[in-house]
Amino acid sequence: MNAFHGRVTAALADATLKIAIDRTTNTARAKRAAAIAAWPEFAQARVLGRDIKDHVIANMEYYLNQFETNAKKTGAKIHWARTGQEACEIVVGICKAANAKTVTRSKSMLGEEIGLPHALEAAGIERVETDLAEHIIQLAHEKPSHIIWPALHKTREQVGDLFRANHTDPGALETVEQMVNSARRNLREKFMAADVGISGANFLIADTGAICTVTNEGNAELTTTPPRVHIVTAGIEKLVPSMVEAMTMLRLLVRSATGAELTQYTTFHAGPKRTGDVDGPEEFHIVLVDAGRTTMLAEGLAEMLRCLRCGACMNHCVVYRQIGGHAYGATYPGPMGSVITPSLDGLEKSQDLPRACTLNGQCQEVCPVAIPLPKLIRGWRTKAWVQGYEPVYTAWALRIWEFLALRPALYQIASNMALRVMPVFAKGGWIAKMPLAGGWTRYRDMPRPQAATFLAQYKKRQAAK
Amino acid sequence: MKNNPPRVALFATCLVDAMRPQIGFAALALLEQVNCVVEVPMGQTCCGQPALNSGDQDGTRKIAKQNIKLLAGFDHVVVPSGSCAATIKKDYPDLFEADPVWHAKAVDLANRTYELLSYMSDIWAWRPKDVSCAATATYHDSCSGLRSLNVQAQPRKMLAGVAGLEMRPLEGANVCCGFGGTFCVKYPDISNAIVGEKAAAINATGADLLLGGDLGCLMNMAGKLHRDGSKVRAFHTAEILAGMGDGLAIGETA
Amino acid sequence: MNNAKKAIFAAIGKALPAPASAPAIAAELTQLRARIDATRPERVSGPPDEVFLDRVQSPGVAASAERIGSLNDLPAAVMRYAAQHDLALNIALQPHPNLEALNWSGLQTRDHVGTDETLAVGLALGGIAETGSLVFHSSPESPTLFAFLPLHHIVAVSYKNIWPWMEDYVRAFTGAPPPRNVNLVTGASGTTDIEGTLVRGAHGPGWLHVVMVGPPTD
Repeated sequence: MNAFHGRVTAALADATLKIAIDRTTNTARAKRAAAIAAWPEFAQARVLGRDIKDHVIANMEYYLNQFETNAKKTGAKIHWARTGQEACEIVVGICKAANAKTVTRSKSMLGEEIGLPHALEAAGIERVETDLAEHIIQLAHEKPSHIIWPALHKTREQVGDLFRANHTDPGALETVEQMVNSARRNLREKFMAADVGISGANFLIADTGAICTVTNEGNAELTTTPPRVHIVTAGIEKLVPSMVEAMTMLRLLVRSATGAELTQYTTFHAGPKRTGDVDGPEEFHIVLVDAGRTTMLAEGLAEMLRCLRCGACMNHCVVYRQIGGHAYGATYPGPMGSVITPSLDGLEKSQDLPRACTLNGQCQEVCPVAIPLPKLIRGWRTKAWVQGYEPVYTAWALRIWEFLALRPALYQIASNMALRVMPVFAKGGWIAKMPLAGGWTRYRDMPRPQAATFLAQYKKRQAAK
Repeated sequence: MKNNPPRVALFATCLVDAMRPQIGFAALALLEQVNCVVEVPMGQTCCGQPALNSGDQDGTRKIAKQNIKLLAGFDHVVVPSGSCAATIKKDYPDLFEADPVWHAKAVDLANRTYELLSYMSDIWAWRPKDVSCAATATYHDSCSGLRSLNVQAQPRKMLAGVAGLEMRPLEGANVCCGFGGTFCVKYPDISNAIVGEKAAAINATGADLLLGGDLGCLMNMAGKLHRDGSKVRAFHTAEILAGMGDGLAIGETA
Repeated sequence: MNNAKKAIFAAIGKALPAPASAPAIAAELTQLRARIDATRPERVSGPPDEVFLDRVQSPGVAASAERIGSLNDLPAAVMRYAAQHDLALNIALQPHPNLEALNWSGLQTRDHVGTDETLAVGLALGGIAETGSLVFHSSPESPTLFAFLPLHHIVAVSYKNIWPWMEDYVRAFTGAPPPRNVNLVTGASGTTDIEGTLVRGAHGPGWLHVVMVGPPTD
């Protein structure tokens, strides 16, 4: 059994996990559906959002240069990182130069992707996760299982237990309100005491050099404003030409993610503290990270670079909703993760992800930028087949079947032979167990086939006419 | 269209051919009601989808070429499966993007190919006459037909004309049943969890019958329902529309 | 150009070997922009200030709101709010000259906001009707943390400064150098991180009260 199957087996056996997944994703789907229904222009906006992202990606060099020039004008320091490791080194280097003891971090999937939490800890810097969900999984020493709700796999009962064990004066922890209040009290001083605040960026605004963050909790601004230094890590694909286009993307992103029309706090950050400002960071750094994005661009995955990280694809994925995020064994789970992960981690290691998909297309249907996820997933299967990763048993089964499918007369003979054998295993109209059919019959009965093939019966019928 | 009435090829699909020929005969009966001149080309096997979804594009192209040749010259090609019809209509042209000659042929075939239920409703505005089925039923939208070919309203419109048939809505009718072709045998545990939820939703409707437009999905759901002891019986929609609803459901013997 | 940037640009150049000219990019962008207005939620049909007040109090935003005749009425509104919520008459007052010029007798005021501030009073640059968002531009007169640290945040906004859609706000400032922070505040802080259940007051304010300044009175 490979690692993926092991994780899947464990996840499917975890009844609490399924309860947790359902509680959040069911709400998320219902809220998104209501928000989209209340926006008749959604279909048109989605096509526009797709075209804006495609435009930026096709002209990435132009917009990156524009962004860099404008960001420098605001006083931001720009850093470039080819790899995740390089990005972590830059961030840790800035922290060390600032003599930082503690850093606050506002949830960023890029940060998770490049291993920044680990890099900070390895450098001996105290890391305080400020997003409530990231706080929960930091206490649990776990990784995110969803890109919008990283602690989606935790029930409220489990969160209560964690806070009881880790919070100072948590008080009663019976309700979700009490848990949120306890986190608010426990994180308050840490926001103000941090030396460095690290955020991601939802958008890089090319014509002003600003970066945009969105949160509902307000933790991003509390992370980026009080400390002396604000560091932004952002993927180079996060560009939009200007704030006007950012607004279109925000409408799409927020409704798709949580069903709200706009996040409670939508902030555009441009450079450090200005003359006379009473708050704001003295240094403002932006680390622009490639980490596989230019490879995706070169390898036919440009459409994936549209991704806004809204999480709608996983909320609507029948596979994700059964196995949860951790089973994917990667930073990004669900359909978008099944496309990105083979590019980041290598196809051999992650070949199961594109394969463990029913290609039902609902992810593409809900994607706010119309990423053809099933097509991209199938693209990885093609690569896996060409590179010989298909398991030997299924590869040979497929080859034999193809051999027959290309020889119709032989195919009919083989089919009719099989149909004569199959009833041997049937009890009444159903087959509960049959050699070579274990994948099917482990959980399902197979209907006993009806006598001869359709073609054979049809031929007989025509002859009788 | 060259001929009036049109010359139609029935592409039965490999699953119908092997597992439930009655769906093929139901399709023939329906097509004959709208006066099509129907033929069943004997050289047919499969649309190639299992190879395509396993990543074997070269193998799929060989099968696609065989079908393109086989189905040349027919005014329409009708397929009693949204998923197989979508392979021919949507995927064949994509497969030959780099080959102008075969691409043109694939596009030509795609333009002539239809999923059975939408064909009956959209092209012929056919509605059942004197067809009855005294039962309650619920309908599952198979994903390919729904999302690639927009098959959603048509089967419901036609089923509304079946006397005695009471339709009950299925919660999550547009959610995948967990079949996914080879997915269901490559990842049986995940597939089982998905179809388990689907079976629960089907049972919750209290309907006597489960109807759909794709035999693969129907076998998956019916097989799970039967394994778990449900009394719900499954038919392809074409069977009900062709008046075969009083016969044996999937997995039933006389 | 440093090595990393050079390498990244080389990789982009390899993937996209035929870059468009700047005028061609600008032309394409102009075409994209022309499509934006047709995609905006149609809903903003009435006077922007009235739509804004509706949105602010809609279930999705869930702030409270009132309208006063002029900014001079703000201190009284703050006192009413404090009494209603049983809060001390002790406020952090955003150091904006228009606020500082008001008569705050009966209230203790401070020009900075504390870590555990209970009640802060501020003045927004404007509002966006489409989303019910308040707009703040950071400046010495508008420190960012005023919108994030207090438990209760009362914000005055002039009825004249309500933009119908988000783009209208953006276009009003296009070409001007960006402020350090643009904060669009849409309701009180909230989180759905535990089982998708919405709880207010996660890190930012738990209560947001919007005071619209100026007509209409009927």
